[in-house]
Amino acid sequence: MSEMIEQLMANPLAAVALTLAAYFAGDRLFRAIHAPAWCPPLLVAALLLAATLWLLGIDFADYRSGAGWLMLLLGPATVALGLPLHQQMSHIRELWRPLLVCLPITAGMAALYAVGIAWLLGASPETLASLAPKSVTAPIAIGITERLGGSVALLMGGLLVTGVAAIGCVSLMARWLDIHDERLIGLALGINGHALGTVRAFEIGPTAGAFASLGMSLTGILTALLLPLAWHLPGLIG
Amino acid sequence: MSALRGFLWLIGFLLAGEVLVTLTGLPVSAGVIGMLLLTAWLVLHGGGFDDIAASARPLIAMLGLLIMPGVVGIFFILDELAGQLTAILVALLLGTLLSVFTTLWLMRRLVGGHDTNARGIGHE
Repeated sequence: MSEMIEQLMANPLAAVALTLAAYFAGDRLFRAIHAPAWCPPLLVAALLLAATLWLLGIDFADYRSGAGWLMLLLGPATVALGLPLHQQMSHIRELWRPLLVCLPITAGMAALYAVGIAWLLGASPETLASLAPKSVTAPIAIGITERLGGSVALLMGGLLVTGVAAIGCVSLMARWLDIHDERLIGLALGINGHALGTVRAFEIGPTAGAFASLGMSLTGILTALLLPLAWHLPGLIG
Repeated sequence: MSALRGFLWLIGFLLAGEVLVTLTGLPVSAGVIGMLLLTAWLVLHGGGFDDIAASARPLIAMLGLLIMPGVVGIFFILDELAGQLTAILVALLLGTLLSVFTTLWLMRRLVGGHDTNARGIGHE
């Protein structure tokens, strides 16, 4: 049995098939159990896949080398994000002044708060590099963390926790600060909660959704351009 | 066929991004540069990009699937992280709370209070 599995896993398509199967099964299970709004369907699918790999005794390194073929598509998919960004241009023109001031600060803060707190609590440099792009949408964040020398797996966990936390924090803070403007709530969800926050924003309303995807794209771009530069700055000075 | 033609465009922008990254030494991923190039190209041309849309939409829809191998990885490194788990969770949760507060507070000041309460009341 285990020899058979080893033989199969030598073909990258086996890992691709496992991923696809877990993806669809996770989606079904997600609907069947009426999972709460804060639980992303992806988490269900990932748990299923992890359990399957563990049950079949498949080495994670073997799985990852096969699934790498799937992740190859992340490059063109990241480029594809330029299309929705182009469709957001009217919103960008409408609000470019506040966005220009606000985005660099908030995108910077999103990284700085987390890295600062983790550093104070004694996390390793690799962990810091994995947490820094925690508010950036996954395809872009993977590129950033690879550049910084972090762990992609830890980053993905961080993204999940951040997305879920951002949804809760935005609804809490909006009530506390008495903010009802869908544009602001959408932006806050997109800037801090990447794709998970954006999905939540579309549930609130189309305006919130549009501004969330705007916030998500611009945060992603800004962080991708500035974070690696900022990261190497201390090294260049010291 | 349209989607395949669009796919070639996307890969073209990605490779152009790769060339730019290599030439300039920018510490940015080729995908991000490719995305910016695509956006600039769409702004300049304004229309006639059905091919790109036919390829971009399904790719964006399957992003969740594409990042799954990365998400699964977290369950296999939990042991290594044992000593740092508290630091990581506190950093993520407290960091997100603080940055959400900063965003909302700052945006409310900048976008202007006059219509802050005008839209979308009662969607909680």
